[in-house]
Amino acid sequence: MTSISIENNTSSFNGIYVFFIANRLQLLYFLYVMPTVLTHPYMIWGIILVGIFSQLNLILLSKWLSSEHASKGYPGFVHLFGQWMMRVFAAVGIVVIGIKVTVVTLGYVEIIHQFVFPSMNPNWLIVFIMAVCCYTASLGMGNAIRFSVIAFLCSIWMILLFYTFFMPPIASLPDLYPLIPEDWSNISWKGLLLIWSSLSGPEYIVCIAHLLNPRGSFLKYFTFANTLSVLEYLVLFIASLFFFGSKFLSLSKFPIVTMARYLQSPIFERVDIILICLNIFNLVFGVSIFLLCFYGALRILGKKLQTNHSKWGIQIICIIASVWLIAANKWIWREEHQSLLLNLEIWGSSLTYLLVPLFLLIFSRKKRGL
Amino acid sequence: MFWKKEKKQTLQKGQQNLSLGLLKEILANLEDAEIVERQKPEGQCFTFIYIRTLIDQERMNEALFEPVLHCTNESIQDCISTSKAEEIFTLGEAEKQLLAGSVIIFDSLKKQWWSVLLTNNLGRSIETSDTETILYGAKDSFSEQLDTNITLIRRRLPVTELKSEKLKVGSLSETTVVLMYMEGVTNPEFVSIAKEKINKIDFDLFFDSSQIAAFMEDHQNSIFPQFQQTDRPDVCAYSLGIGKLIILVDNTPFVLIGPVTFFHLFQSPEDYINRWPVASFLRLIRYISFILSITLIPLYVALTTHHYQMLPLQILFVLVESRSKLPFTPFWEALLMLIILEIIKEASLRMPTKSSQTLGVIGGIVIGQAAVEAGFASKVLIVLVGVSAIASFLVPNYLVTKANTMIQFVFLLLSSFLGVFGIVLGMIIILAHLNSLTSLRQPYFAPVAPLYWKDWIDLFIRGPLTKMKTRPDHLHPFQKWRYSKRR
Repeated sequence: MTSISIENNTSSFNGIYVFFIANRLQLLYFLYVMPTVLTHPYMIWGIILVGIFSQLNLILLSKWLSSEHASKGYPGFVHLFGQWMMRVFAAVGIVVIGIKVTVVTLGYVEIIHQFVFPSMNPNWLIVFIMAVCCYTASLGMGNAIRFSVIAFLCSIWMILLFYTFFMPPIASLPDLYPLIPEDWSNISWKGLLLIWSSLSGPEYIVCIAHLLNPRGSFLKYFTFANTLSVLEYLVLFIASLFFFGSKFLSLSKFPIVTMARYLQSPIFERVDIILICLNIFNLVFGVSIFLLCFYGALRILGKKLQTNHSKWGIQIICIIASVWLIAANKWIWREEHQSLLLNLEIWGSSLTYLLVPLFLLIFSRKKRGL
Repeated sequence: MFWKKEKKQTLQKGQQNLSLGLLKEILANLEDAEIVERQKPEGQCFTFIYIRTLIDQERMNEALFEPVLHCTNESIQDCISTSKAEEIFTLGEAEKQLLAGSVIIFDSLKKQWWSVLLTNNLGRSIETSDTETILYGAKDSFSEQLDTNITLIRRRLPVTELKSEKLKVGSLSETTVVLMYMEGVTNPEFVSIAKEKINKIDFDLFFDSSQIAAFMEDHQNSIFPQFQQTDRPDVCAYSLGIGKLIILVDNTPFVLIGPVTFFHLFQSPEDYINRWPVASFLRLIRYISFILSITLIPLYVALTTHHYQMLPLQILFVLVESRSKLPFTPFWEALLMLIILEIIKEASLRMPTKSSQTLGVIGGIVIGQAAVEAGFASKVLIVLVGVSAIASFLVPNYLVTKANTMIQFVFLLLSSFLGVFGIVLGMIIILAHLNSLTSLRQPYFAPVAPLYWKDWIDLFIRGPLTKMKTRPDHLHPFQKWRYSKRR
């Protein structure tokens, strides 16, 4: 009998993981605040339009993922950009990831604090959430990638509960008018930017490209992930239009959660508490991936890539992150500074989503040309 | 260093030439050791050395004494027809054979030493499994005798592809371990991993397969078993057939099956006997019961402590009325009742069958009813504790049931601090932990993570057997198809 390697089957992830990772990373915090910014029914087209642009971006990303450079991992990046540039990118990445983790985590903590535990000190919530994220991250990147399947299965079904908002008497078609804007100047570029930023996240897959099976049909799975994300955003936005109406949508800070408060079951009168809590699966998955990327970027900066990964390293990162989050929650995540942090996150995510695939492809072409 | 010296001496003993004096020295202070001398009429003298308690004494007379003493042939080997005689040369070999249940024969004329295996096959008969009872299907179960256990499996898989390899573990117990697998089906990497792990075991005593499992598990600190333990030959045969391997341990009725996944532990032999819709329904019930058993009581604590607004008014009225005279908080009330339940469960396991029935009545009626009337627990909690306890028994694997209990207590603590949010955090930790576990270095949470869609036909539901045409992908079997391709 000839022997086959089982290790390869478990460590090399198929394209299907690209679907889970991309989809779950596209549905983090902004899912809850997006309807507040979009408000107008014709922004449905905005979601579809930006979704199409996102798809074009993902085509570029999948092309790079199928390239020789992607499968090499860090040496592939060094070959493209050089070591000095890699350190610059790592430094920028640390800042961008730091802002993303801050906004995503503090945003969720705010939701939990407001809807589930109004009397609890939010610092405790940060500590508990970060402890779980730390545990998931400390299990390594391979396990974090596999956790995407669990996060997906534990959270995807929740979208089905919103079907009730599409049923009369809550749903009234006139709430969806006008579908074509009467005045083009009304189209909020901020809204479009927010959608683009919300659909960001798949660019972080470049950090785990070496773990993916290069023969995986990435474009197919990216397309599925992006389509599903766009559909989820559409379902939630249309549901919130039916529920609040265009005029009142901007008055609620978290329209999706507020809507969920009206969902009922024969056993539980308030299902929203369960739904908010279950969304932590998504958050934990996202944050653990970001923490591992953060750790990787620090290793690049500290020229420590030759040394083995250490559990202590990731745990120290988690402790620092927790302390930072508690501090940020106390001093930055306040009414006066919150929008600044949100804007930074929107711009940061939008730029990374736009530039990462573009840069990688341009440099790959350039190298091939040389 | 002193231990190195001792090792050297043992080595010398193993290679020392045999002599009656040395053997007598070894057998000194062994009350059951016998040295019998018999002389043939023509003067040839034979010495029989054996340990009385280890050999079949009835067989010894007819199979050994008579043939040897009346033999006219040149060699002892030719005289003994019922047993096999082997010539031995060293003291170490003699000692090993004696302890394995052999009779050592010394031919004083030819100065030759022989050993004849006459092991006393003590053991119980084949009985019904107590741990995995089923209504329909085979009733036989393994016993403590290794050969009997192998026979029970071979009868179900009468093919030469079923390979068995004998290994030894335990420096004192010298326990025989047999590794069985289907050549051409089981992935050879599993076999080499298992062999490597068994060969690495360095410990003195092994009396049970779970002790071997403790040394072979990839994650020894986990509460989840990474090998399935069964005493059912049909479960073993099925596992071998789909590409797993089994490890039989001498003097143990429980066999280890690996690699396993978390979901294998929810499968019962009856799943493949019932009609597939019925089997699927029962399997789903089992998963629901597992979730209920770990979350029901913590959910009660979470709702009554933190989220009473989640409950409909009618249910809230019932709860408030039920808890109105209780002196404890929901957490202490639940903790108290769960500890009492665990005490009753453990006591009923250790007591004789008839007494345990009485215990059930005392536990269920007297303690339950009295606790409510005395004001220690609410009626609602008693109902939930009962449901949770029964639900925990639906999981076919006893080791998972025990893990359930631990998870339940941790969830109880989390729910008292953080309500539903705490339970969900606990679930994430459990799922992340399960996701990181491996069994024989294979993912423990397959076919969910890593994802193998095709294997889902026999995961949460049990699909029709006619549709299960391939062996599970996550086991990487060599023969993927379960039917002849010519058909």
